[in-house]
Amino acid sequence: MIERIARPDEVRRWPGSIPVSHRYTPGVAGQAFLETLRDRGVILGSRCDRCRYTYVPARLFCERCFAELAADVEVGPAGVLRSFAIGFVGVEGEPLESPLTLGLVQLDGADACLLHLVLDHSDEPLEIGRRVEVVVKPAGERTGSILDIEGFRPVEG
Amino acid sequence: MEPRVAIVGVGHAGFAPITAGLSYKELMFQAAERAYDDAGVDVRADVDSFVCCSEDFLEGTSIFDEYVPDQLGAVHRPVQTVAGDGLFGIVTGTMLIRSGVANVVVVEAHSKVSDVLTLGSIEHFALDPVWNRPLVPSVLAVAGLDMNAFLERTGLTEEHCALVAAKNRCNALDNPRAAYPADLSGDDVDDSAPLWWPLRELEVAGRADGCVVVVLAAEDRVRDLTEAPVWLLGAGWSSGSPTLESRTWGEADFVRRAAQRAYAMAGIRDPAEEIDLAEVDDTYAYKELQHVEALGLAEPADLGDLVQEGDLEPEGELPVNVSGGALAQGNLFEANGLARVLECVEQLRGEAGERQVEDVQVAVAQSWPGVPSTSAAVVVLGRDEGPS
Repeated sequence: MIERIARPDEVRRWPGSIPVSHRYTPGVAGQAFLETLRDRGVILGSRCDRCRYTYVPARLFCERCFAELAADVEVGPAGVLRSFAIGFVGVEGEPLESPLTLGLVQLDGADACLLHLVLDHSDEPLEIGRRVEVVVKPAGERTGSILDIEGFRPVEG
Repeated sequence: MEPRVAIVGVGHAGFAPITAGLSYKELMFQAAERAYDDAGVDVRADVDSFVCCSEDFLEGTSIFDEYVPDQLGAVHRPVQTVAGDGLFGIVTGTMLIRSGVANVVVVEAHSKVSDVLTLGSIEHFALDPVWNRPLVPSVLAVAGLDMNAFLERTGLTEEHCALVAAKNRCNALDNPRAAYPADLSGDDVDDSAPLWWPLRELEVAGRADGCVVVVLAAEDRVRDLTEAPVWLLGAGWSSGSPTLESRTWGEADFVRRAAQRAYAMAGIRDPAEEIDLAEVDDTYAYKELQHVEALGLAEPADLGDLVQEGDLEPEGELPVNVSGGALAQGNLFEANGLARVLECVEQLRGEAGERQVEDVQVAVAQSWPGVPSTSAAVVVLGRDEGPS
């Protein structure tokens, strides 16, 4: 029988923390995607002809049939919004300063969906199926990061 | 021929938002004591192998598998850790027995999440660091995106999901171990704050501390140990595509594949007809409906009516999460799957008290390790021993 501690202020606790820092290697295909985005403002994917499936971002292997792929297919810049969510809270549940929308967009020529922010859409309610396009930062401001994309904005048609 | 496997003992501790004063080791010790007592085993003499399920980051300790033997009676014994949900531990324990390596196996999983001070950051660290982490402020975004895609595909509504959350919180009014029982209506849930719309605050399972220990035995040992064995009729597990960009959104295809394997092993051809009770993952309310579909228990077109007409309630045609699920028992992280098993065992034994469902012969338990993961385990449990 364990005698429990009955008073919360009698519960002793010991703090502990470690700094966790990493660097991550995007890989051959990931680097090709990021450098193409930086240099040309273009979205690069990979096509698996056997599966008839185009991945984005580019990758060196097909997760469906295990074939080796190349990073050589340009997709977008427009596409279809396949899902979205509007965020009100951050990493530990704290309220965000202003709501934020994330969208999954199937770019023209791709089967996979690129995940990114949906830029200002306050004029009209967003709907799944909406046509949107990628907005890329100006050439001089791109560094070779997924953040070189500003997000998606609705387009006509 | 591989021996059949049965659950011969269960024990639990905690299932509370906080377990102040108890260390995780003491929480595990309490649950283990109860499970061994329930099974009538002498742990030092009768148990051949131990399987624990934990993730280092949630424990706040590196190489956490070194920290489990003493409080389970497993010192100087074979112990292994599965970095995943407890239901994967049941699968591993079953394989140990069916392969002839062990006759009696203990499976353990726990949560001491009240000691975790940066849970959101740990979960955020599970996102892809290059493509997703810089963009996505919270993993709840992944649930919101999946929920919206699920509603779009099935034609179900936010109100249907809200009714699921209300049902599970109400179910737990009859569950003495539940951390978050409440008399809620669908409107209450629908009026709660959007976190990552369409996902709302009352559709997200609250965190809880707890531990569940399960004792498995080979059929030769089962009759010596218990008069009320719960037979493991089938088990299946599967991964999906982990990549956010190329996964199947709005659908739990990995649960469907895990279920198909479990049903094939159990000889179940028509799950909707043959399964009497389901305990499924409901970390987010919409997930219950998505998982019911993936388990082959209902067609998407019928799900809305099933929810609205109360068919998923304890008295309904297909009782789902009579325990209250994670929404009402609390999110126990790695122990969620074993909490599902615990309820199935109590129901199959006829020991579920106020919430006992009549004539439960076959039950299914399913787990999912939460966003952003895409993997699942499914086990089919029954009162009769079934095919070998």
